[in-house]
Amino acid sequence: MNSRPAPFRFFNGTRAVTPRADILAPIQVRWLGALMVAAMLPQAAHLPLGIAALGLALVALRVFLISQRRARYFAALTELPSWALAVFAVVIAFGIRQWYGYLLGREPSVAFLFVLCGIKFLEARARRDGTLLVCLATFLLITPFLSNQSMFAALAAAPALMILGGALDALERSTDSLERQRDWRATLVRTLTLMAQGLPIALLLFVMFPRLTGPLWGLPTDRSARTGLSDTMTPGMFTELTLSDDVAFRVDFEGPTPRPSQRYWRGPVLSRFDGRVWSAANPQLGSVQIPNSGKNITYTVTLEPSGQPWLFALDLPAALPRVDSESGAATPPSIFLGLTRDQQLIARAPILQPLRYTQVSNLRSAYPATSVFEARANLRLPAGNRRSVEFARDLRANVADDAAFINAVLQFYRNEPFVYTLAAPLLEREPVDQFLFESRRGFCEHYASSFVVLLRAAGIPARVVTGYQGGEINPNGGYMIVRQSDAHAWAEALVDGVWRRYDPTAAVAPSRVERGLASALPAGESVPLFARFDGGWLKDLGLAWDAVNHGWRRHVIDFNYDRQRALWHEWSLDLFSPWQVVGGLTFVAGVWGGAVLLWLAIRRRRQERALVLWEDVCRRLSRAGLPRHPYEGPLAFVERAAARWPQFGIALKAIGEAYATLRYGNLAAESRERAALIATLKHAIGALPSPLRLRHAA
Amino acid sequence: MLTSASQAAWPANWIARVRQRAFRTSPADRDPVILRHSRIYILPTRRGFMLVLTLGVMLIASLNYSLSLGLGVTFFVSGLVAAALLHTFRNLAGIKVRPLAAGDTFAGERLAFSVELMGGASARSEIKLQARGTHVLSDVRAGAALTLTLLAPTAKRGRIPLGRLTLSSDFPLGLWRGWAYVHFPLEGIAYPKPEASAPPLPQGPGGPDAFATGRGGDADLAGIREYQRGDPPQRVAWKAVARGAGWFTKAFDGTGGGGPVTLDYAALPRELSAEAKLSRLTAWVLAAERAARPFELRLPGAALALGQGREHRRLALSTLALFPADRT
Repeated sequence: MNSRPAPFRFFNGTRAVTPRADILAPIQVRWLGALMVAAMLPQAAHLPLGIAALGLALVALRVFLISQRRARYFAALTELPSWALAVFAVVIAFGIRQWYGYLLGREPSVAFLFVLCGIKFLEARARRDGTLLVCLATFLLITPFLSNQSMFAALAAAPALMILGGALDALERSTDSLERQRDWRATLVRTLTLMAQGLPIALLLFVMFPRLTGPLWGLPTDRSARTGLSDTMTPGMFTELTLSDDVAFRVDFEGPTPRPSQRYWRGPVLSRFDGRVWSAANPQLGSVQIPNSGKNITYTVTLEPSGQPWLFALDLPAALPRVDSESGAATPPSIFLGLTRDQQLIARAPILQPLRYTQVSNLRSAYPATSVFEARANLRLPAGNRRSVEFARDLRANVADDAAFINAVLQFYRNEPFVYTLAAPLLEREPVDQFLFESRRGFCEHYASSFVVLLRAAGIPARVVTGYQGGEINPNGGYMIVRQSDAHAWAEALVDGVWRRYDPTAAVAPSRVERGLASALPAGESVPLFARFDGGWLKDLGLAWDAVNHGWRRHVIDFNYDRQRALWHEWSLDLFSPWQVVGGLTFVAGVWGGAVLLWLAIRRRRQERALVLWEDVCRRLSRAGLPRHPYEGPLAFVERAAARWPQFGIALKAIGEAYATLRYGNLAAESRERAALIATLKHAIGALPSPLRLRHAA
Repeated sequence: MLTSASQAAWPANWIARVRQRAFRTSPADRDPVILRHSRIYILPTRRGFMLVLTLGVMLIASLNYSLSLGLGVTFFVSGLVAAALLHTFRNLAGIKVRPLAAGDTFAGERLAFSVELMGGASARSEIKLQARGTHVLSDVRAGAALTLTLLAPTAKRGRIPLGRLTLSSDFPLGLWRGWAYVHFPLEGIAYPKPEASAPPLPQGPGGPDAFATGRGGDADLAGIREYQRGDPPQRVAWKAVARGAGWFTKAFDGTGGGGPVTLDYAALPRELSAEAKLSRLTAWVLAAERAARPFELRLPGAALALGQGREHRRLALSTLALFPADRT
C-alpha cells in the first residue's frame, strides 16, 4: 500500500523500535559525520596508519550509506547484528594490543577510542546515539594535545569545534524544522555567534581555573628518543647534533645580552675516560660556589623536553633556578634536585615537558675547587695513547708551571695545521694519538678530548664540559634561540685550586666562538639552515615563525600552576580570600550574562526597529486612553486614533502607513527605502505630544 | 483558639503558596501572562548533562597531563554551553501567553484548546506547548501573534479544564531545557459519547414519527430561502456562498415534518446504566438536530423546553455533559 521505503536502519529487529522523531535524519547524520571526520583527523596524524585509516573508513562507510538506495543495495552491511560490531570491537582491541604490546596505556587507549568512534558512528541510528557521538568527538579533540601542543595542533581542533555547534544544533531540531531550514551556513553563523559570546567565559576559566601543582596520576613515560646531549661523549656525536636545527632552549635576558664569547651554556660535565668514550661521574651535590658579588646576569630559560635531567645555565650558575621570576613563589621542591660540585644543574627527573625557569649566572670562567678527591678523579687516564702522554710530559718538563704548560698546548693547536671540520675521519685505535699527530682534522669533541688527555698526562686535573656555545638573538621578540647545532664541548682544568675554562676549539677556529659554527667551518661543508651565517629570507621567515611559537609557548602552553599564581600575584588577587575571589568571579559571570542578554536585546531591537517603534506608539496611545484592540491592524488603529485626535491626524496616519509598509511591504533587508521609512516613522512619532497631553487634548 | 487555628494553618498555607508559586498548581493565572525570570526554570537536558560530564573528564585529563590546549578546548566548549543557557532563557523570556478558547467535543474525541503566543520584538524558536498529555511545537515570528491549538484527548464527559500549560524549549543547542508553567482557568466541555447505533427517535407528541432514521427530512429539495442564524450548516447552500452570491439555506419538503420530540431520561429502559442513557440521549439530540425536528429534553432535576437550532443543541448537549452522575 505504502511504497515509501523504510527508513535506513541497522540491526533490524534486534532493538526496540525507535519512534520516527528519534531516528537520525540524513542531515543530522551528515553533520555528525562532518564532526567525526573533523575530530578524528588531528588524532589520526599521531596514530599508526592502519588504525587511522580504519577509523576514518568506518565513518566514510556510514556517510556513504546515508542514501537509502545504497543502503538497500548493501543490505547485508546495513543489517549487521549488534553483536557482530561488538566482536569487531574486541578484535580491534586485540589488534591494538598486538601493535603496541600493551592495551592499558595512554597511546593504545587513544587508538582504541579512535576506532570506537568509527564503530559507534557506523551503528548510530537514534538521536541518543548522536549525543554519545558528540561526547566522544569532543573528548577526542584533546587527545592529540598529548603529543603536540603547537599552534597547528590548536588550529587543527578549530574546525571540529565549529562543527560541534552545528551538530548540536542539528540534533536539537525537530524533523519538521530540519526540513524547513536546510541552510548549513545559517546554522554555522548562529553557533559561531554562540561561541563568540561564550569566549569571555572561556578566557576567564582559562586564567582563573586553578591548575594542579603535580599530576594526579602517573605522567606518561615517553619512549621515543630525542636529539640532544647525553651523559657520554663518543666521537662523532657532536657532528651529528650539529646537523639538527631543533631548538634546545630559548632564553629571555633581563638586561643586556652577554657577548658571544661569554655564551657558554654549561651542560653535563664528563670526567671519566675509557680511551674512546667520555662519560659523566655520579653526580655529587654541592652548594653554590660563586659569591653573590660581581656582575650577575638574570635570564629565563624555556627548555624543550630533552628526556634528560640537566638544566642549562650560563657559566657559572650563581643561584639555584627558580620556576618563575614574577611570582617570587617558592620553587616546588619536586622539580629541581640542585647544583652538583662540578657546577651542573640537575633536575629530579628527566625533563619530559617544556620547562621554564629563571636563572642567575655570574659570567666567569673560573671557580674554586671544593675537594682534593675532585682533583684526583680528574687525573685518571686509561692505558694507551702513549705518544700523546709522552708528548705532554716532555712539554711539561720544558716549561715553568702549569699555566705555562696549558698555554704551550694551546699554542700547539694554534701553530700546527689543525683543521676544524665536521668531516673528521673515523679514528679507531688510539684516537687521541691519531688525531693529534696524524689526521689533525676534527670537531670540538676531538679538541676537547685531546686537550684534557694532554693535561691529565702532564698531571693537571682536567675534564670535559659539554653544553652549548652561542645562541642567536631572534630580532622578532628579542630573545635568544639555542639550537642543537650550537652543541659544543670544551675543557676545564684545575690550576692553583681554581677550575678554569679552556676552549681548545677557539685556539683552532676562533670564529666558532665569536660568530658561530658556519663561520668557522671550511666552505662547502653542509650546515643546517639556522646555523648558517647568512640564511637569507628563508632564515628570516623561520626566525619570525619561531618568535610566534615562543610567544605561544610562553603565554599559552606553559600557563601552569606557577605562571597562574604569578599572574594572580600581579593582579593582587592573592590578597583576597578564596571566598572573595569566588564571589568576585560569580559577579563577573553575572555581568557577562547581563552583557550577552543585552547584546541579544540590542541586536533584536536593531533588526526589528519598526516593530519596537510601533510598540512604543501603541504604548503611548494606550496611556493616552486609546488602547489598540488585539484584532486591529496598524492602519485601522491609526484611523481610529486620528478620529480621536484630528489635530495629529497627519502624523498618526504617517506612522501607520510607514509601519505597515516596513512590516508588511516587500522591502529588502538593508535597503535605503527601509532606512527612509524608519526615519519617517521616528519623525512622525516625534511630532506626537506626551501621552498625558494627548489625554487632555481630546 | 483563633491563634492556635491560624498557627496550625500557617505552615499548610505557606506550603500551598510556595507550591502555587513554584508549580502553578491551581488555575490562578489571569490573561495575559508574560513569562518572566521568576517563572522560567532551566535545567540541562540529558544531552547537556552528558556533555558537561564529558567536559569534566576532559578537564581532569587536561589538568593531570597539564595540557593547556586541552584546558583551552574544554573551557571553550564550556563557554558555548554557558552561552547556550542564556539563549535558552532569552528564547522563553518575555513571551506573552493568552488563553483564547476551549472547544467542545464528544467524549473519546479530541478537545481543542487554543492559546495565543506573542513573542514581542523577538523571534522565538521551537517553543513547545504542552498540556493534558499532548503538545504542539512551533516557532513564533517577531511581532506576530501565533494561535496554537492543543488537541487534548478526552475520556469522560463533563467539563475538561486545560490544566497546567507547560511552555518549554531546548533551543538553540538542545543542551538546556527551559520551561515555564502557566495555569489558566480555561475549560472545555466534553459531551457524552453518542451511542453508536442508537434506536430511532421516540415518537413525539405530534403523531407518528415519519423520519425515524433522521435522514428522511432531507428527502426532497423544495427550494432555497434566505439564511437565518441557527440554520444547520449542512443545509447552507455552500455552492452559492462560494460563488459569492450570498447566504442561502436549502429548504426541504421534509423540514420540520417530523414534529417535535420529547427526549426523556425517565422513559429509557431501566436496564441501561446512567452513562448509557446519557449516550443514547446524546445520539437522539444529534438525530433530532439532523432531522431538524424541535425537541425537548427531560432529565431528573433538569429540563430543557422545546426548541431547535444550534444554540438549543449546544444547551442540550451541555446539560447532558454536566448531568451529575449520582442523580439518577
